[in-house]
Amino acid sequence: MPAPQTDLLQGTLDLLILKALALQALHGMGISRRIAQMTSGTFDVKAGSLFPALHRMEQAGWLASFWGESETNRRAKFYSLTKAGKKQLHTESERWERISVAMAAALRTA
Amino acid sequence: MISRLLSLWNNVFRRKQLDRDLDEELEAYVELMSAEKVRGGVSPEEAHRDARRQAGGIDQVVQSVRDFRAGVWLDRFAQDIRYGVRTLAKNPAFTLVAVTTLALGIGANAAMFSLLDQVVLRLLPVRNPEKVVIVRETGNHYGNSYGPNTISWPMFEDLRDHNQVFSGMFCRFPATVDIGYGDRTAQISAELVSGSYFSILGVGTALGRAIAPDDDAVPDSKPVVVLSYSFWRSYFNGDRTVVGRTIGLNRLAMTVIGVAQPGFDGVELGVPAKVFVPIMMKTEMTPRSDGLKDRPRRLSWVTAYGRLKPGVSLEQAQLSLQPLMHSILEMESLQPEFTRNATAEDRELLLRNRVELLPGAGNGLREYMRKPLLLLVALTGAVLLLACANLANLLLARATAREREFAVRLAIGAARARIVRQLLLESLLLAGAGTILGLALAFLADRILLRIYLPEDAAAEFAVSPIPDGRVLAFVVGIMLLTSLVFGLLPAVRGSGTEVTLALKDRSGALSAGGISLRRMLVGIQVALSLLLLVGAGLFVRTLRNLEKLGPGFPTDRLLTFTINPSLSGYTDEQTESFFERLNLSLETMPGVRSVGLSAMPLLKGYAWQNAIVGKDFEGAPIEQQPVLNNVSPDYFATLEIPLLAGRAITPRDHASLKYTVAVINEGFARKYFPARNPIGQRFGLVNNMQSVTPDIEVIGVIPDRKYRDLRETPPPQAYFPYYEDIKFRGMTIYLRTQADPRQFEDALRERMRQFDPHVPVVGLETVNEQIGFSLRTERLVASLSGVFGGLATLLAVIGLYGVMAYVVQRRTREIGIRIALGAARRNVIAMVMREVFILIGAGLAAGFLLALALADLIRSQLFGLNARDPLTFVGSAIVLALSAGSAGLIPALRASTVDPTTALRQE
Repeated sequence: MPAPQTDLLQGTLDLLILKALALQALHGMGISRRIAQMTSGTFDVKAGSLFPALHRMEQAGWLASFWGESETNRRAKFYSLTKAGKKQLHTESERWERISVAMAAALRTA
Repeated sequence: MISRLLSLWNNVFRRKQLDRDLDEELEAYVELMSAEKVRGGVSPEEAHRDARRQAGGIDQVVQSVRDFRAGVWLDRFAQDIRYGVRTLAKNPAFTLVAVTTLALGIGANAAMFSLLDQVVLRLLPVRNPEKVVIVRETGNHYGNSYGPNTISWPMFEDLRDHNQVFSGMFCRFPATVDIGYGDRTAQISAELVSGSYFSILGVGTALGRAIAPDDDAVPDSKPVVVLSYSFWRSYFNGDRTVVGRTIGLNRLAMTVIGVAQPGFDGVELGVPAKVFVPIMMKTEMTPRSDGLKDRPRRLSWVTAYGRLKPGVSLEQAQLSLQPLMHSILEMESLQPEFTRNATAEDRELLLRNRVELLPGAGNGLREYMRKPLLLLVALTGAVLLLACANLANLLLARATAREREFAVRLAIGAARARIVRQLLLESLLLAGAGTILGLALAFLADRILLRIYLPEDAAAEFAVSPIPDGRVLAFVVGIMLLTSLVFGLLPAVRGSGTEVTLALKDRSGALSAGGISLRRMLVGIQVALSLLLLVGAGLFVRTLRNLEKLGPGFPTDRLLTFTINPSLSGYTDEQTESFFERLNLSLETMPGVRSVGLSAMPLLKGYAWQNAIVGKDFEGAPIEQQPVLNNVSPDYFATLEIPLLAGRAITPRDHASLKYTVAVINEGFARKYFPARNPIGQRFGLVNNMQSVTPDIEVIGVIPDRKYRDLRETPPPQAYFPYYEDIKFRGMTIYLRTQADPRQFEDALRERMRQFDPHVPVVGLETVNEQIGFSLRTERLVASLSGVFGGLATLLAVIGLYGVMAYVVQRRTREIGIRIALGAARRNVIAMVMREVFILIGAGLAAGFLLALALADLIRSQLFGLNARDPLTFVGSAIVLALSAGSAGLIPALRASTVDPTTALRQE
């Protein structure tokens, strides 16, 4: 692990998962890798947080799942965004941007 | 929303599938990760170990994923239930005893309550039944009467037309009529009703129209009939075209105008009316008696009902009706019908009569079954109480045995609340299983009880359903919850209070000391209640025995009976007379018949013809003390094998006169009216319609005292007249003494009667033994149920006592071992344990005795031939109970005496 790790803020993980799935359906391991890639290794999501989150979000109706073949020809469970998931990604992104702008401004005044 | 529900469904019911999916998903994750590491140059084994470590413990992941699933609480609940079921299944003996105990207790209560609810507590299926009242006249009516709740037709009209308190009044008269439709004839019960009957009751029709005031304005003018719904279904197969058709009632063509609403069988529950006829048709429906057109005021026959005006209470109405009644009576007291024979004193008494209003939704069945049913409900209540005591005992014993289990669970972090919940859930599971089983039992029991209680056709049509309605279910669930609380919470509270360290450290310590005295008390209560039930059972069984053994006073074997009434089939008086003469001959000459007797009154069916008599030395007595009378054929006494003590029997010659000239009396009659005299040749007269009579009936014979109305009575004074003398009889009951088994004779007899006269139906053909058996159905029901309950109670008490003593012995194994090691003889050990057993039984018996003595008076009226505090029954029950409970206590005592000191001392 080259980059220093940061604890995930509450709600951040959901947004990252949604974002990771925005382009294509991925299995759990793929999501984990994609998040690491998107955040340049800042976030390394472990199974202990990833899977509960995936199941919770599936329950909430943001994600759909299906069984498919991984790149190593293994049966794996893939997740994709539902319509509600896309909407959620949109609203969450906007909210996050507002917060980050506000946070940046707040930190700069110091 | 739908996907939510779907996932809830999946989570709850497809757990296994979901768990497998989750496992596979995580497996894939680990494999993919290790594959990535292998590509990075790590050895496969190390890669796999690494990946697993990084996955952070698969089990924890699985658990945290599960926690996110919808319906976790449901999951926990299901888990608790599974755990509970498993625990109960691991202990089948306990579970079986507990569930059976509960099922019997709850089943008995549900059965009794559903019967009580629907028969005794139920009101009529009419609009606002509590507003409908019966209007009756109290006091001496000075005339002939069809029953205590009847008044004369003119009095009904007076009350109906002049009262201020009712929104309407109607009256009714029950009658038995012949119905002819196609080529079938049958005898059915009819209700003669006044025109506003249906509208005031608020009863509608399923088909056609009801009887209206127009149908009931002029006597004999409107031959119309309304069918009851159930009769329409059973007799006419629900044929909708029957409305408008003609059927024959007592051979009179009547038009069917409608079918009453389902569930309405008249205002007398238990005696379902099959047809409703305008009361103006009275003369045609009851040949030989009128009361309507001739308007006698000294013949009371209609039952009058009123519907209270809104806001008027029963008491107010009763009060404000008195002046009206008084003016009617004043008018009546001046009429010749009354004055012909009445003294000034009689007039005084008549004017004291008052109006009384009774709740009209009551019914005869209700009165008849009330006492035995309430008694049985009390008995079942006692059984339920016993069952609860037994269960509490069982569960207390179990909670003690499980203290270690609870301690372990608490030690590894279970919440106390969860343990309490667990115990309560187990109780609820038991109670639930017991309730389901109990309701099934109740279903069966109610069917059997109804059959025992009601004649077959009434049971089929009577609306008592064995399926409990909402209130019964609420009652049962109430019992269930209460029981669960009583026997569930107590051990639960005690169980969760377990001190972890104590329970884990020391198994034989004093931590359960509180339980045992409670359990001893419960056993004492069980013994007391069992004694109560056993005494009750003994009293009722012996009552039944007494009634059966004593019988009516004449041999009833090989005796057949049936009733027949040609006047209902349109026969004139002369035809009727010749009918019976020919019938007598025809039956006498039938092969297999030894003797034939005819009687105007059916025996042992509760009916009686009573009349005041006059004589040289005595005045007319009040009605309760009047003798019972009967018209019989010459061979009647010979057929019933009642011997003549003096004088001669009635002969065909005695029939010559149309007046009453001769009578055979019983000893009671002779004792009462001709004391210390030879009764033969004495004379008396019958008081007829308040007319003066001369005592010109001569006593020709004396028979011994035999029962007349029912088996319970002390034979009343009786007088028998030749039956031809009274041509106004409504029908005759025939008694046949056969040579062989009468039941094999029934078919031949039916055939004979069909050939003799196919137009006159034979009613109620049965053996006299069957008739007596049926008349004792309440006694038999009470005796057999209380017997079963008594046995059940004893069994429960025995189980309870055994459980407590076995536990006591087990707890004292060490102490007993030491005693034996120090030289105590085995019999001393047995005596030590048995002393405790007898103290328990003795205390229970003492309490039971006191209880039984105190309650004995409540059942006095239900007994026959023995005292409610019958010493034999009391002592016998106590001995039975002491012996069975004592032997149950002997088993642990013997086990205690065989304790091996070395093993006992080595025990932790």
